[in-house]
Amino acid sequence: MSISPLLWARVLAMALAVTAVPVTYAKTPADQLIVGMSMINLLSLDPAAATGLDVSEINANLYDMLLVQDVAQPDRLLPALAERWQVSDDRKTLTFNLRSDVKFQSGNPLGADDVVWSLQRVLKLNLALASTWKAYGFSADNVDRLIRATDPNTVVIELARPTDPMLVLNTLATSPSAFILDRKKVLEHEKNNDLGAAWLVTHAAGSGAFVLNDWRANDVILMTRFDGYWGGPAKLKRIVMRNMTESQSLRLMIERGDLDIAKGMSAPDIQALQKNPDIRTQSLQRGTLYYVALSVKQPMFADARVRQAVRSLIDYQGINQTVMPHYGVINQRPLPLGLPARLPDPGYQLNVDQAKKLLAEAGYPNGFKTSIRVLTEPPFINIASSLQSTLAQAGIEASIITGTGNQVYGAMRDRSFDIIVGRGGGGAERHPHSSLRTLVYNPDNRDEAKLSNFQGWRTSFYSPELNTLIESAEVEPDAAKQLAQYREIQEQLDQQVGAILPVSQMTDTVLVYGDVVDFQGHTAATTRYKDVYKNR
Amino acid sequence: MFVSTASVLGARTSNAARRVSTVLVTLLGLLALTFVIGRVMPLDPVLAVVGPDADSSTYDQVYRAMGLDKPIWTQFGLYLNDLLHGNFGNALLTGHPVLEDILRVFPATIELATLAILFGVLIGLPLGVCAASNQGRMGDHIARVITLFGYSTPIFWLGMMGLLVFYAWLGWAGGAGRIDLAYDGMVPEVTGLLLIDTSLARDWDAFASAMRHILLPALILGLNSVAYISRMTRSFMLEQLSQEYIITARVKGLSRRQVVWGHAFRNILVQLLTVVALAYGSLLEGAVLIEMVFAWPGFGQYLTSSLMLGDMNAVMGCVLVIGLIFVALNLISDALYKVFDPRTR
Repeated sequence: MSISPLLWARVLAMALAVTAVPVTYAKTPADQLIVGMSMINLLSLDPAAATGLDVSEINANLYDMLLVQDVAQPDRLLPALAERWQVSDDRKTLTFNLRSDVKFQSGNPLGADDVVWSLQRVLKLNLALASTWKAYGFSADNVDRLIRATDPNTVVIELARPTDPMLVLNTLATSPSAFILDRKKVLEHEKNNDLGAAWLVTHAAGSGAFVLNDWRANDVILMTRFDGYWGGPAKLKRIVMRNMTESQSLRLMIERGDLDIAKGMSAPDIQALQKNPDIRTQSLQRGTLYYVALSVKQPMFADARVRQAVRSLIDYQGINQTVMPHYGVINQRPLPLGLPARLPDPGYQLNVDQAKKLLAEAGYPNGFKTSIRVLTEPPFINIASSLQSTLAQAGIEASIITGTGNQVYGAMRDRSFDIIVGRGGGGAERHPHSSLRTLVYNPDNRDEAKLSNFQGWRTSFYSPELNTLIESAEVEPDAAKQLAQYREIQEQLDQQVGAILPVSQMTDTVLVYGDVVDFQGHTAATTRYKDVYKNR
Repeated sequence: MFVSTASVLGARTSNAARRVSTVLVTLLGLLALTFVIGRVMPLDPVLAVVGPDADSSTYDQVYRAMGLDKPIWTQFGLYLNDLLHGNFGNALLTGHPVLEDILRVFPATIELATLAILFGVLIGLPLGVCAASNQGRMGDHIARVITLFGYSTPIFWLGMMGLLVFYAWLGWAGGAGRIDLAYDGMVPEVTGLLLIDTSLARDWDAFASAMRHILLPALILGLNSVAYISRMTRSFMLEQLSQEYIITARVKGLSRRQVVWGHAFRNILVQLLTVVALAYGSLLEGAVLIEMVFAWPGFGQYLTSSLMLGDMNAVMGCVLVIGLIFVALNLISDALYKVFDPRTR
């Protein structure tokens, strides 16, 4: 292609012009939503493999689920692809009647076979999100028998073992593994019997309100409206998500109106923007907790008195007032705030004298040396610094070992740590079992058991009584009795001094530009953009 | 005559063969070192894929699928075998072949680094010459202050300040990213260099947007090159200006400009080629901080993200590309030596 000298002259003139003249910027386009966020942890869009809150939010706009969690009342489930559902009297079978008017973005009709295939696929691939289903007793071997279509619009799920059906329903409404795929389209891209896994890493085949146009890793995600959406077309034409890892860049761009939504900003930048009348902040409570985890494998932490001493050396109030604003709110229980089964906070406070007394009783009157593993980023490192200083007041000399996510949690999975300041919990399912299973339950404490998906196992904290109570509460059909059992578990855990000491419940703060209407973040990270529009 | 031509040809061939073998051994050593470092680093690429809460059966399955259960030298051998067949492996970060990824992200960095080095050369060379020819006077002091500023100011801070002043306050510069989001995906990709692609598409609004976005990061990135190039130029020039031929030229009555530019500067051109080539190489592989601040989807950001994940396929691919860049720049500067310096022919 030849380029004329005239063309080059114009290029040069344009270059000079844009450097010399201040430019007035238009705001973001009225029919597009521009989102700035970090995409560094976005590795796959495949619902069988995609972990993390960000990918849940993206997939919630590309795919549908059988049910959805009510945004206003997260304990309530609403119909989505399933227009109604029933739980059998023996609580062993769930039946879902699907809407008959749903089409995938490809034009293929959505039927029971797609739903069954999508859920079976998660277990057959055995990738990251299979854990959720395996915890209910499903496996690649039994899933064909237990999840099946009885007619083109009816799906039956038989529970693999006794559990609370509400748990499974919650999973179907919130887990990133529960998105329904266009079976025909995915199988067109299958290679080496991978059930489309390689293709789905960077593509989507759903029925959601938006179609994925392009995903350039660590750069941008482009989605456009799916006009044939069964729930009516979205109000905005296009969603653009741009990878922005720097909080201050996000701040400058949303301040100038070049972003509609900014996610993942640091607390100081959020605080600075709270005075800006053009920007709203939305705080979303997540199901996960910031905690201090102690390894009971270490002889000193095997003693409950030492664990109690450490609990007395956490400056809960100081941390939550100074470090946690925009990251979390105080929560000293393993259950998320707002769950009916959750007991009020026990009111733990920094109490150095009590800690010293307990340490002396346990045979450590002069403290001991230990280490704290922690991520380098806030608020983790700030919590660790606070802990280091308060432990020192009782003579415990803790060195801080910083690392990346897989260095910190890798050590935890290997059970080779003393103390970890980390984050974890039950995720999005609004059920006490979900949190207790993750943070407390440890059915087999042997190293060979390798139950690394249980954070309780990682700490080597083993309480047969608590295990029995958790198992019993899970299957208790009477709601009042179940509630009482969950409260008893919390009291017992309090007395036994668990190895995971919750400090704060995670919150995500999203900044929204003033003219964006009806953006409502979901606690389960399944935020949908369908009804969002701009008031211009 | 015939014998002499043959011997010249032979010498050239053996020279070329020696050079190629040196390059291959260097690259192999580089790859082996990176591979070993990657394996001993406490980073777990499996966890990056399966997440921290996966159970052990999923973890083990992915571990085997990545080939991590094999001995390290077997893994390296398999990697080299794939490499010889043109297969760099797939990246964890994107799921795409690494080569495809590098070809996608590299134009963004080339565009940024090229503009930055242009800035570095256009400002740095005259500044260095001015400093040398005014040694100890005002021009020299000003050049030193600029050099000191360019060397000592953290580029990350400078990027943030640049955004604050020229983007947020004055509105002269575009914000983060290569182009306003309204144009994203709208310009047909021909070269991957947005300034060229928008020109080819004759989309002047998009061109202006791309130019507004690139100028600030390129200027800031180029500032370090300005410092380096001007400092080296000053030093080379001072050496030349103290030579006898310069005194002779002055005695002969040549103007100051003729002496400085016509004699001294011409004689340092060859040395400057190496300086500029090295500066350009550093910009291509070292723009990571500026890419982070400006959300620039380039090579530096790709390499950093891959490193954080322990994504060794991507890291090895990037290291190989960096090695090739420096080899290519060396070859180009060697070739240019021969053009500018008859003694090396």
